[in-house]
Amino acid sequence: MGSFIIRRLGLSLVLLFIISIISFFIVTLTPGSPYPWGELNPKISAEVKANFRKKFHLDRPLHEQYALTMRDLFTGNLRSIKDDRPVMLRIMERLPATLALNVTSILISLSFGTLLGVAAARYAGSWQEITGSFVTFIFIALPGFWISYLLAIVLVTTFGVPILGTQSYGIDFPNPAAEWLDRLWHLLIPATVLALGGIAAQSRYLRATMIGTMREDYIRTARSKGLREEVVLYKHALRNSIRPIISGIGMLLPALISGAVIVENIFAYPGMGRLGYEAVLERDYPTLVALNFVVAALVLLGNLISDILSAAVDPRVRLE
Amino acid sequence: MRSIRLYLYGIPALLVLILGAAFVNATFLSVTKKNEMSIGTLGEPSTLNPIQQADSAASEIAGMMFNGLLKYSRDLEIIGDLATSWSLSQETTFRFQNHEEAVKSKDFLKSLLPSYPAWPVTGMEVEGDQLILHLSQAGHHDSEQIFKSLWDFNYNPLPFPAGEKGEKPRLFLAEPILKFTLRRDVRWHDGAPFTAADVAFTYHAIMDERVASPRRSDFELVSSLTVPNPYEVIVRYKKPFSPALASWMQSILPAHLLEKVDPAKWPEVYNRHPVGTGPFKFSSWKTNEQIRLVRNPDYFLGPPWLDSIVFRVLPDPLTLQLAFETKQVDFWGVQPWAVKGLENDPRYELFSAPGNMYNYIGWNLRRPMFQDLRVRQALAKAVNVPQMIKYIIYGRGVQSNGIYTPQVWFYDPKVRPLSYDPEAARALLDQAGWKPGPDGIRVKDGKRLSFTLLANNGNEVRRDIATLVQDDLKQVGIEVKVEIYEWAVLLKRFVNKGEFDAIVLGWGLGYDFDQYAIWDSSQTHPEELNFVGYSNPKVDRLLSDLRQEYNRSEIIRMAGELQQTIYDDQPYLFLFVPEGTSVMWKGTYRIRRPGPHPGEWIDSPVTMTKAGWSYDMEWFYRPEYPPKGKSVKSSTPSTASTDSRSVTP
Repeated sequence: MGSFIIRRLGLSLVLLFIISIISFFIVTLTPGSPYPWGELNPKISAEVKANFRKKFHLDRPLHEQYALTMRDLFTGNLRSIKDDRPVMLRIMERLPATLALNVTSILISLSFGTLLGVAAARYAGSWQEITGSFVTFIFIALPGFWISYLLAIVLVTTFGVPILGTQSYGIDFPNPAAEWLDRLWHLLIPATVLALGGIAAQSRYLRATMIGTMREDYIRTARSKGLREEVVLYKHALRNSIRPIISGIGMLLPALISGAVIVENIFAYPGMGRLGYEAVLERDYPTLVALNFVVAALVLLGNLISDILSAAVDPRVRLE
Repeated sequence: MRSIRLYLYGIPALLVLILGAAFVNATFLSVTKKNEMSIGTLGEPSTLNPIQQADSAASEIAGMMFNGLLKYSRDLEIIGDLATSWSLSQETTFRFQNHEEAVKSKDFLKSLLPSYPAWPVTGMEVEGDQLILHLSQAGHHDSEQIFKSLWDFNYNPLPFPAGEKGEKPRLFLAEPILKFTLRRDVRWHDGAPFTAADVAFTYHAIMDERVASPRRSDFELVSSLTVPNPYEVIVRYKKPFSPALASWMQSILPAHLLEKVDPAKWPEVYNRHPVGTGPFKFSSWKTNEQIRLVRNPDYFLGPPWLDSIVFRVLPDPLTLQLAFETKQVDFWGVQPWAVKGLENDPRYELFSAPGNMYNYIGWNLRRPMFQDLRVRQALAKAVNVPQMIKYIIYGRGVQSNGIYTPQVWFYDPKVRPLSYDPEAARALLDQAGWKPGPDGIRVKDGKRLSFTLLANNGNEVRRDIATLVQDDLKQVGIEVKVEIYEWAVLLKRFVNKGEFDAIVLGWGLGYDFDQYAIWDSSQTHPEELNFVGYSNPKVDRLLSDLRQEYNRSEIIRMAGELQQTIYDDQPYLFLFVPEGTSVMWKGTYRIRRPGPHPGEWIDSPVTMTKAGWSYDMEWFYRPEYPPKGKSVKSSTPSTASTDSRSVTP
């Protein structure tokens, strides 16, 4: 197991290097330039532009730019073209809000998805289940921005409740509990919208695995022993169907910090998605490269963790 | 098994419970009206350091915290801000063979002066082989006259060798001198006094390569900046350049805080929590959420009435509208289509004015078909601009009549825009030799009158313009192919290289009359802004005269001539100037601003001024928090705003 981890880590470093090259060139070869003050601006002379390009090494050949970017990334000196602050600081600044949003949304989609999945497997084929499946498919199909707008309009115009940002504006909270509930509210709304697709996917996935499990011999044995249906369902079927979810948890690691562009924009939530989106629009190369790098590293790490977890919960899996 | 079921049902149930509680909690919260202004902005500023920013979100916020030496008045006249007064003079230097020649010329000029009272000469001196004249006015004109007289009487000054690359040798040196006298009652937000050292520091910082300031172009012609005493600044220019005066509206930075700090450290130590001299002080910045400013009790014009201002970053236009409707933000920039619905609603106050931007179609004048003026005129007459205004921007705009927009002070309303007349267009095309071909498209020498019109993706107005133009031109026998590209691609592949037929674009150029970069025939190289390849010697002369002219009425005259000349040439098809509209819940704010005399305050509702409805924003107050603790002297209403009324305590 130890040698496996070391080998995988070595392989991941090679992969990370290749990913960093690809992502750097995809970012820099996109048309457009990162000049933050507008291309067609008569107030900006050619000297000012040249000076700016020099400051951010944009006058060097691409391979040198890559080397300089990577050097700065690892020494912590990589600075955003937008506001000249260290890129890692900008990412860390958004980390708490992003983590809160994504952890909540994952929690919602896992818990509701499992609940619905089990129910769907149990009542597979009944008209309730078919209706339920239909509704979940609708949730998979609906675009997030549409649900977000609808929710925003209904909540704001019908109920008059604030939804923007991380906290209500202009309110003197009567007590700390009200303030915390208000923060939770601002967290739960975008998290629920984000989770809708996850709930649907999760429940469909679990339903399929569970229906497969229910046909196994040991389930028949359990039933023929005269066990109650609930015991069969939760103790035998669910436990044996849950492995894909557990091994998938490692894969959730990058999802924890990667942002949700549309939902964050609509609800004015200060997360990682807006950081990345604005960086793309502004051609803020350093921020984009750093974001890509961090997410890629987390994906690789997540892969490793999910392999280890699989081996831990399932004795049939051997890590060689 | 029990535990599995507990989790399976327990966690969702708990989540639903929390959501319900949070929802109930949210419905019970009510906004308490604070003495605070809330402004929604779509974009977050990059920095609050006024010499490192050029985005509008940033300058709006920084404008509340900083002052320049000068500012615009409500009527867009340049007036003092941190400067109490300023004067403009000039030193003109002539060079001669030797010292004796210079002395002789000086004596000659001295004898001439009484007969030329218009010459603003206040003094003369000889230094070596040079004669230096002190003039009480800046500009090229007077010095040229004097040069001519010397020449006429055989006192021949020698030319100066060319200083910069590509420049011609100069007949004389004209060096304008700007002298500012500063206010003595200004303090930085940290209590330190404001002095001329701060002005000098700001200038040097802008010129510092490490700062990479976008404002640098404004100050490149400054040859020296001296500080004779703490309340006086003398700026000397290499040559006359009148737009430079407005550049002193540049916000001033505190030298005592930044002088000893490496500019690379500014983002950490200053740019996100700046110290200024303005009516509001920085309080906090929550990234991607809000920036809060609080009242500066020591503001030199008196403390503002509001306790604080919050700029909330709301990146989505629809939710920004929702925020306005639920009174979470106080103002909303209305899209043209929504104006009609709000206009007659008594719950709102609307502020509309022509924007500072015009849309146009640029013809690439390097293409043979666009080189014929008759063709360009025909194109202009064939396009139905009023219909465009009606359908694209719902009537919220006016037809453009050239390079300046209506609310700038040098705009010439007498330039008549070409009217829609497809018959005349057809006649002009016939005259130019473009005859209808077999497929209805006009042909000349075997070439079809067909071109590609470019526009950028994501800008619906420009896309719609392209569509309507395509349709209008088809009626007169011109084929238009519309192609839409992403903005960066459009610039890189077409505009910067000057390789396109025609393009839909817009200019938003502020209050600067100098458009040298856009129209001078020397600015047609790749990546330069005269990308249509326009060239007219008369325009070149006007452009260079204009930027050397300091006299306001002369500037207005010359700018008018420039506007007319370029309009006659039709290098662009000038389309329309869209109107900008902002809305506020009725009666949310009133204004009480300092009057023309000390101790005098003028009270008025929020109104449109030439400089926009938000001109006096620092003096806005909420009627439920009326200004007090300040004696309000009665005053006669100023002529600028007829509806202002005076208030006596």
